[in-house]
Amino acid sequence: MREKIIYVLGIAALVILAWNINAIARLPEETQQGVTFKIIFFHVPMWAVAITAACAALLASVGFLVTKNFRFDAAAVAVTEVGLAFTTVGLVTGSIWGREIWGIWWTWDARLTSALVCWLLYAGYLMLRKAIEEPTQRATFAAVFSIFAFLDVPIVVFSIKWWRTQHPQPVFWAGGSFPPDWTMHLMWNMAAMLLLGMVMVAVRLRQEEAQREIDSLRRTAHAL
Amino acid sequence: MHLISQTPLVAQLVSDAERLQHQYEFLSYGLTAAWVILVIYVLMMVARERKLKREIASLRAMLEEKK
Repeated sequence: MREKIIYVLGIAALVILAWNINAIARLPEETQQGVTFKIIFFHVPMWAVAITAACAALLASVGFLVTKNFRFDAAAVAVTEVGLAFTTVGLVTGSIWGREIWGIWWTWDARLTSALVCWLLYAGYLMLRKAIEEPTQRATFAAVFSIFAFLDVPIVVFSIKWWRTQHPQPVFWAGGSFPPDWTMHLMWNMAAMLLLGMVMVAVRLRQEEAQREIDSLRRTAHAL
Repeated sequence: MHLISQTPLVAQLVSDAERLQHQYEFLSYGLTAAWVILVIYVLMMVARERKLKREIASLRAMLEEKK
């Protein structure tokens, strides 16, 4: 049943993406940036998934520390890993967009730097997990580290409000001038990416369960 | 005379075409990078899944033998 739900969600995400990419390709050029602006339809949804994953990782980590239930630990590692993949895409697409519009691949402004720090923190979280053998200690240290890593997330989100940055202010919601039909396509892409992220998290969670089964089989083999 | 009057228009068209081509180039870089990264991640997950299944099967076989 779970397998079927994963497949259905994955196919739904791909169908929405295929339909929406087709619609986005037909949209007119943006007046200042031309067609390059259409990177926004991927750049922003990738970051939306990454931020959602970071929030989910925070909740799962707090959940583990409170209950000591390893399901929370599995959820935390699954969402963090998927979130890191989406963060990587967000950073890379942003860099390519910046090269075309600003003429530079990278600048050390508050938004970009805090985003890179976020990537490094969550990559560090996964490395920390590899470094600790004992499961309870690994889960506890990782949960504390994940909570600490989340402190950077509000800085990433609000940096463009708090400081003057090369990165522009939001073009939709906060008083921006994003056309309504473009917003709709952005929302569809965001929904599709979130679905895709959920499918990846579900697959990753299943792998964590398999890993726990392996650990248990190994313990049984040692005992025999 | 006719050709000379059209030259700025042709130059403008060529410049617009070059600008558009350049923009499409960067758009395609962005989209390609996005999908390549996600596909690499999915392939890594598939490889891990296979490894885990193999490991579970071999451990079960070993336990059967020990029993």
